[in-house]
Amino acid sequence: MKRLILITALLFIVSCQQESKMDPNINPFFQEWNTPYEVPPFLDIKDEHYMPAYEQGMKENLEEIDVIVNNPEDPTFANTIEELERTGKLLSKVGRVFSNLASSNTNPKLQELQRDLSPMLSAHYDKISLNEGLFNRVDAIWQNRENLDLTSEQAKLLNDTRKGFVRSGALLSEDQKERISEINSKISGLSTSFGQNLLAETNGFELILEASDLEGLSDGVIAAAADAASQKMDAAESDEEKDKYNDKYVFTPHRSSMYPFLTESTRRDLREKLYNSYVMRGDNNNDTDNKKTAAQIAKLRAERAQIMGYKTHAHFILDDNMLKTPEEVYDLLNKLWKPAVKRAKVEVADMQAVADAEGQNFKIAAWDWWHYSEKVRKEKYDLDESAIKPYLSLDNVLQGVFNTTNKLWGLNFTEIFDIDLYHPDARIWEVTDKDGSHLGIFIGDYFTRSNKRGGAWMSSFKGQSNLDGRERPIVVNVCNFPAPVGDDPALLSFDNVVTLFHEFGHAMHGTLTDVKYESMAGTSGPRDFIELPSQLLEHWASEPQVLKSFATHYKTGEPIPDELIEKLLNASKFNQGFINTEYLAASLLDMDWHTISADEDIKDANKFESESMKKVGLIGEIAPRYRTTYFAHIFSGGYSSGYYSYVHAAVLDSDAFEAFKEAGDVFDPNLSSKLRSSIYSMGSTEEAMDLFVEFRGRKPVIEPLLKVRGLDGSE
Amino acid sequence: MKVIRFILLSFIFLASFNTFSHNPEDFMIAEIERGQMYFENEEIAAEYGAALKRQRIRRLAAMPFYKKFYIFVKAGFEHIIPQGIDHILFVLGLFFSCITFRALLWQVTAFTVAHSITLILAAQGFVQLRGDIVEAIIALSIVWVAVENVLFKETSKWRYSIVFAFGLLHGLGFAALLTQYGLPKDNFISMLLAFNIGVEFGQLAVLLIAFILIKLIMKKNWYSNEIKIPASLIIAAIGLFWFIERII
Repeated sequence: MKRLILITALLFIVSCQQESKMDPNINPFFQEWNTPYEVPPFLDIKDEHYMPAYEQGMKENLEEIDVIVNNPEDPTFANTIEELERTGKLLSKVGRVFSNLASSNTNPKLQELQRDLSPMLSAHYDKISLNEGLFNRVDAIWQNRENLDLTSEQAKLLNDTRKGFVRSGALLSEDQKERISEINSKISGLSTSFGQNLLAETNGFELILEASDLEGLSDGVIAAAADAASQKMDAAESDEEKDKYNDKYVFTPHRSSMYPFLTESTRRDLREKLYNSYVMRGDNNNDTDNKKTAAQIAKLRAERAQIMGYKTHAHFILDDNMLKTPEEVYDLLNKLWKPAVKRAKVEVADMQAVADAEGQNFKIAAWDWWHYSEKVRKEKYDLDESAIKPYLSLDNVLQGVFNTTNKLWGLNFTEIFDIDLYHPDARIWEVTDKDGSHLGIFIGDYFTRSNKRGGAWMSSFKGQSNLDGRERPIVVNVCNFPAPVGDDPALLSFDNVVTLFHEFGHAMHGTLTDVKYESMAGTSGPRDFIELPSQLLEHWASEPQVLKSFATHYKTGEPIPDELIEKLLNASKFNQGFINTEYLAASLLDMDWHTISADEDIKDANKFESESMKKVGLIGEIAPRYRTTYFAHIFSGGYSSGYYSYVHAAVLDSDAFEAFKEAGDVFDPNLSSKLRSSIYSMGSTEEAMDLFVEFRGRKPVIEPLLKVRGLDGSE
Repeated sequence: MKVIRFILLSFIFLASFNTFSHNPEDFMIAEIERGQMYFENEEIAAEYGAALKRQRIRRLAAMPFYKKFYIFVKAGFEHIIPQGIDHILFVLGLFFSCITFRALLWQVTAFTVAHSITLILAAQGFVQLRGDIVEAIIALSIVWVAVENVLFKETSKWRYSIVFAFGLLHGLGFAALLTQYGLPKDNFISMLLAFNIGVEFGQLAVLLIAFILIKLIMKKNWYSNEIKIPASLIIAAIGLFWFIERII
């Protein structure tokens, strides 16, 4: 107790350099934030403030819409489109704080709120997107667009706004609207059961092993499997069931359990068993089978697209993307396919050679891949992670990424110490431009903790606009790097460093943005484009000259040795044939499922899948990264006809970085400033392809990506 | 089941504010594998405590030297007044044992030198002792000096050595708190010094106040029976209570 008091008192001295200017009796969301840079007053915001603010925010939002709709004046760009941009301020004020904290610093109360709010919000946004009076005004302006003197940004905003209404069904007849909403609710039900089935199937299989079955496994893997067994034992209800797990080792088709087993186990029969349990998820002809569910979802989507006036679901989805048609997507995937499979075949041959040399008498199969590729990796690409980490302390890496943007665009970062955020591990910097002017606020929240969601992401607490004065953004990067132990600094793996640069790329997209309308600012572009600014920045992280400048040993200050850099970069080419082939196979499968027509009746999902894979010539040693029955991204997540986006963005970023390589200087001043003016500052004010062409002078090509991934035949 | 719903909800939420996951794919798998988030309050509190320490160190490192120095002097002072009630009692115990100011000064000096030594050694990581043991013996040291006050009229010869020994222990107590709080690496020694100065100021303040209050009645013949002994007994009782509390 005494210690607690002391620590709080000491903390008080250090931290309370700012006093809250907020009135404690009023919900902070209903007050002006006179905080520095309008950073949300996190210490004043309590869990009970969200719901009233959301309710009031939605109410105000609808009232604002009514004012626009009931305006007696004829609809104009200014009194309708621009006014729409000004609506929903309170809702976004509370929404930004809530959605961020519900992911990065959540608690049971916030999770409950999240469940309550989701249907409320979707009903709220439906009211706006289905508001006929509002659509009529927007449409009237759009019909007359040729006669208006609009800037290109305004024209795109008008177009995008109208398109949003049309895609929600504004042009449909009542009958059609009814059918669409029927389809939507059916799809949503099917998607939910797809996800539930998948979870049940993933949890439904376990490989229970005796101590004698553990050949080849390392101590850590064995300990985890023993742990899994004892957890099962604790959860077991009957003695009989407890007995089943007593002194046993459990592996499951969860990737975190399966991959180590497939990599290390020398028992080929058990590898096959576990691997098959993974690839057969949702395909066991039982209650939780997903074959029919998937086919039904695809068919319903096709019907919906047809009602909306599109040939297929893929056409409907892609109409909003950078690649506009399925033909463009297929073209891209097919071009990458051949080099990927070619490389994969070389990898199979390498592994077969290892197996033969061991005196094994079998052909490498899908379940052998991890075990034998690991042997190849050790031989050709070995890399000792622990030798690299001391060079990659978080502070050094941050300095490295700051310096990179300084050399590219002249940005400067100044850490601010007297602003309290939502968690003491979250840090805050002011970003200033090369002329010293304020550009934005950057928040970095890097360490993992038990009330933070997994993964890494970028988001924002405040948007950017120039509509009513200059509003600069507050962006945030959240990661899950391991927290430091004791008084040593946090040391990152190279993977972590790439993630940090990646999220920082999104953050720069959100910070350098300079547009008039908030809805078009920063990262608002299409999905197959918005990973370009993030993935592009990753290239600087692996540029030896940049890496050397920040990767210095945290104890000795020595820069990272050349041979370590070489090993590091070489390791990134390992197994690329496999990685790309399984990914491209899944992307093609996604496209195939979503280019069916509404009257096509797919009885057998397995047949559909195997024909689809046979068509392109997938080799037997590799399965698609996701087979139909567990492709949650497209059947229960939001990635239908969109799984290709990852590789599309990779084509873009490799090609864009190639421009710097061609210039012979990764900080070439002309290219840097062009990169900023045509991509990072533009938000979605122009078509994404036009932005790319503006920067590169031509459309993207795949060769630089092939080179980066070692698929150009050089390996 | 809830997990999937949670994922779907997240998508809706994330989509509405343009949030970008590093690799949504890994993230989705991680979510499925991790299952529903469960909240271990102890774990969250421990993580929070560690994060607070990191934040303090970052903030301190960014401060100018004089500000840091001031903060540590203040922290040391506040560790005596008002939070260090057991240290106050110990010093008062010394106070009541002395008839002359000179004897008091020597004892306080012995105590100070001793706890400075262990504070520095422990903060540097040279000495370590379990916190609960240190705390318990500190309670016992209070009982000891107070009981001695009741039993002996004169300051005993070995008193200085015992006070010195107890000082060593009190230093370990200070150090435990200070490491928990975190010392900036760059100015390790100066901040340690600052903290110690604060502690000395605190002790002197206690003695000064006691001296002013008691000075007038110190020479009275009833002082010993009606003030010194009852006060010492109360101090001993509190110390004993703490000792028992800390060992169970």
